[in-house]
Amino acid sequence: MDQAYIIQFAVSAVAIIVLASVAAWARIPRQVAPLDESSARAVIADELPDTPVERVWVDAVGQAAVAKSGSEAVVLFRVGDGFAVRQAPWSNLAKAHTRDGRLVIRFGDPAAPAARFQLAPGATSAPFSEIAA
Amino acid sequence: MIDLPFDPIRTAIPLFIVLVLLEIAAGKLGRAKVVYEGKDAWTSLLLGLGNTIQTALMLGVIATTMLWVYSHHIFEIRMTYWWAWVVLFFADDFIFYWVHRTSHERRIWWASHVNHHSSQHFNLTTALRQPLTQLVVGQWVPWLVLIWLGFPPAMIVIQNGVSLVYQFWIHTEAIKKMPRWFEAVMNTPSHHRVHHARNPRYLDANYAGILIIWDRLFGTYIAEREDDPCKYGIVKNLGGFNFLRVAFHEWMAIFQDIARSPRHAVGWLFGPPGWSPDGSRETSDIIKARWRARLAKTDRAEAA
Repeated sequence: MDQAYIIQFAVSAVAIIVLASVAAWARIPRQVAPLDESSARAVIADELPDTPVERVWVDAVGQAAVAKSGSEAVVLFRVGDGFAVRQAPWSNLAKAHTRDGRLVIRFGDPAAPAARFQLAPGATSAPFSEIAA
Repeated sequence: MIDLPFDPIRTAIPLFIVLVLLEIAAGKLGRAKVVYEGKDAWTSLLLGLGNTIQTALMLGVIATTMLWVYSHHIFEIRMTYWWAWVVLFFADDFIFYWVHRTSHERRIWWASHVNHHSSQHFNLTTALRQPLTQLVVGQWVPWLVLIWLGFPPAMIVIQNGVSLVYQFWIHTEAIKKMPRWFEAVMNTPSHHRVHHARNPRYLDANYAGILIIWDRLFGTYIAEREDDPCKYGIVKNLGGFNFLRVAFHEWMAIFQDIARSPRHAVGWLFGPPGWSPDGSRETSDIIKARWRARLAKTDRAEAA
């Protein structure tokens, strides 16, 4: 590999570190408030307008929510200053495991393998667990 | 090897850096609509760096192929002919339009191109968020036609670079609209915001590189509307910033699908993104049809 390429690559790498640091330092992301039930419903209505939602459970820190839509679960979770939404069979929630006070819901989707639902302090299962089981 | 008298991309790198810093400054000072999320910007920039590695790894194969095709060229076109640059400008942009359009409409090429669209943001670092596999899947091959016609490989590489550099500045929300005549002919931030939007109305539109005329000609032009602000990203947004997942998630999904149902491999690879043999997934056409049906329903309800 020629020397000019290596120099260009090294300089680009340094530039990237500087630019990413400046971007993080600037703190100019979207302003996203923690989720509550109505904001979770609004996001789901926007993402899945043809999906009627029955009940919604928001996690303890407002970073994720689970909604029941018939036999489907709609899972909404924060990614940076945005959200990702995935659907899974409601029965999958019964298989979700708890780790460090968080319920890990898996989707089998390479683009979004799992969502984490923060449980309330002291809780050992999610508020929707009884229905999920 | 191909000897370049001028490398537009290498020349423009300092400009890219300065413009990103200026865009961030404009956002920080509240002078323009600019949104940056640290992890997102980092991922975009890292993908840009990864793209340069891909180019370095593929350079030998591409250059050798280009030179071999050029050894069979049919017309004598020299870099010193001014008209050759004019013809190349249009021919290159025309090929870009179709390659880009195919990148959105066929999953094997979307698997590579999706990287460029997976950010939920639209800023100058999004421009640098380049695919890691577009050379591997042969997206440079259509340009060989021009070389076979007689355009020297160096001219093609330079014009490709010019196109890429042009497309850098249009990845911004800081510029609302350009003058009307410019919006009519050239690709602009407004046109390109539509291209990066995931709103049903805007899906699969504005594939232009430099000239928006191709979209107007081939029916893929959609204007940005104030009553439907662009929301960026992909139909199903990514669930994190893991670099390998961001870079290869669609390839992983294709392999999963083929492993699950190998007899539909051709459909999984060459069908539109969202295609499935049983129709259980959503292509852009289905998403748009559902959106139109919702819109019609709302209109009927309002009229009643």
